[in-house]
Amino acid sequence: MEEKYLICEDSIEGIFTGIYDAYALREGHEHVHLQVGEEENYRLFASYMYIQPDSVKTDKVARTLRERLGESVYHVICRAAASCNKEEKGDAIYKTVVDSITAGSGRRVMENLRNPYVLKTFELARYTANEAHYETEFIRFQELEQGILYAVIGPKNSVIPFIMPHFADRLSIENFMIHDENHGLFGVHPAKKEWYLVSEPDGFIKERLKWSQKENQYRELFTMFHKTIGIKERENKRLQRQMCPFRYQDYMMEFAQK
Amino acid sequence: MEVRISPQMSLMDKLKILAEGAKYDVSCSSSGSSRANDGNGIGNTVAAGLCHSFASDGRCVSLLKILFTNECIYDCKYCINRKSNDVPRASFTPDEVCELTMEFYRRNYIEGLFLSSGILYSPNYTMELICETVHKLRTVHRFQGYIHVKAIPGADPLLIQKAGYLADRMSVNLEMATAEGLREMAPNKHRKNILKPMRQIQNGIAENKNELTLYKHAPRFCEAGQSTQMVIGALPESDYQIMSVAENLYDKFSLKRVYYSAFVNVNEDKDLPALTGGPPLLREHRLYQADWLLRFYHFKVDELLTADRPNFNMAIDPKADWAVRHLEVFPVEINRADYQLLLRIPGVGVKSARRIVAARRFGNLTFEDLKKIGVVLKRALYFITCNGKMMYPTKIDEAYIVRNLTYQNQMGRGERLPFLMDGTTYRQMSLFDEGQMSEAQTYRLA
Repeated sequence: MEEKYLICEDSIEGIFTGIYDAYALREGHEHVHLQVGEEENYRLFASYMYIQPDSVKTDKVARTLRERLGESVYHVICRAAASCNKEEKGDAIYKTVVDSITAGSGRRVMENLRNPYVLKTFELARYTANEAHYETEFIRFQELEQGILYAVIGPKNSVIPFIMPHFADRLSIENFMIHDENHGLFGVHPAKKEWYLVSEPDGFIKERLKWSQKENQYRELFTMFHKTIGIKERENKRLQRQMCPFRYQDYMMEFAQK
Repeated sequence: MEVRISPQMSLMDKLKILAEGAKYDVSCSSSGSSRANDGNGIGNTVAAGLCHSFASDGRCVSLLKILFTNECIYDCKYCINRKSNDVPRASFTPDEVCELTMEFYRRNYIEGLFLSSGILYSPNYTMELICETVHKLRTVHRFQGYIHVKAIPGADPLLIQKAGYLADRMSVNLEMATAEGLREMAPNKHRKNILKPMRQIQNGIAENKNELTLYKHAPRFCEAGQSTQMVIGALPESDYQIMSVAENLYDKFSLKRVYYSAFVNVNEDKDLPALTGGPPLLREHRLYQADWLLRFYHFKVDELLTADRPNFNMAIDPKADWAVRHLEVFPVEINRADYQLLLRIPGVGVKSARRIVAARRFGNLTFEDLKKIGVVLKRALYFITCNGKMMYPTKIDEAYIVRNLTYQNQMGRGERLPFLMDGTTYRQMSLFDEGQMSEAQTYRLA
């Protein structure tokens, strides 16, 4: 039988609409695939369908997944959908849903790691979760002139939605924003209000931001503290690099002078 | 209250001196406490703790770890701030500590404050200063992040109780594993004075638990428990002594963590060993490995070490060492063994053991599945079967397995140590390689 590829947009909406349409085909799931983003290598003996993101279908799928798979598995799927691995994430998520709803593993689907798609979803979600965890640790806020806190990050996966709740709770009385320069996304939190996402405004240049008077003093104080706290006799740069990889260090001011 | 300060000194100079004095304290964890923000101040705590940076020695920087003052009336031989040392002295004011904590915390540099101190005038005077600082931080600045404070041995129990209601974690350092060792190293400190606040904090936590079951909003006392630390390698204590003390502290004093600190000879005191090869990092590493076995793998110290075998094997880790001496238990069938037994297999950790138990409900696991689950097969393969078969034909023989495990080490493909195998650690290992001992002796020797 001919293989069918559904091609969807790189977003949760795109992927969920794709899952809806894959079920709507009613052709079984063995020969249907979900592909995120543009297909680069067209296959012979395969047909391609382009899926337009649709909010009604997305809501239906999201509701079904929450009810049938449970809230925690739903979050795993959301994290996998935020992954930077475009080639594999569509199919992995789709076939994980199939394993749960159609093949019957239900709420325990994430335990069925013998299924390669479930394993892939698990790995993608873990990668996003790990990166989100690193970013909650290594983000550095800087105070702008107006007293607003601003942080810039460069993650591989789109982690802002997963780190905003942490900071919205912790810094509830602060105005702050987190800027993901790789995905062109801002997470914005006005003091004592709900946080939200906005895409990067055109012509935004972070170098033009003006810092508050005391900002430089605290940066220097912490940089010096960081340098002092290391024990010379135990120096171990390899371990430091392993625990805090260079791609995070690039965004941390205490590693600026090396 | 009168506080001795040095007005001419800048905040930068003070921070440098007082961070310098605090850096030998190992604990920097911010775990064990989980508290949401109440909307009136800044901060929350996360159960697993967060590391915000890593220092040049690879240790995590989670808390603003500082001394309140490095002035001290005591003269402990191993301590850089002892009375007889001529080092620059400085003291913070409570406001300075609050300012640094709040401004660092907002910028996500730190997870909270770790406040320790030298003994200024008297234990009570010092403990009062610590309490005042933390009280200010909690009430005036409404700081809701993590706070770890030292209980100063000899301070009034009321002051320690007050600090306990303000802090997430408290600690009293045991310093030396044995009472005689402590007497020798720290003539002004007494074991009994150290254990007293430790017991008080333990009881405080237990009582607080009862209160909390009755009244949900009762004030919390040391929510994240207490910890302590021991210096390793300053005195000739055996690993068996050290681990037995640690086990006692976990069982009898309900400690959350015991830290081991490889001795760094900062004072070059004539009574202390000169460590030409640097601090005993490999030994410290083995102690931490054993500590994990006690806390997460249901091991007892007596299973790992005995009076006639009092030190850990430096060539292989304690868990593998236990396994090769108990080959009668192995090989273990992955698809049948219970969770406790899975935990005893080298190469299987807590996470993979849990995943194995969950995944085998769906069908028999193969070696390929185990690899994906995260089992380290190159270590586990000597000890397991999948569906009745071993991965390769291997001998279940002590010498054979040890040779294979340590051979991988020498090739740099085996156990991953958190530091490079040079200096003392490598020399210790190469001693074994020169054929001075038979293989069987090699891994029994520690």
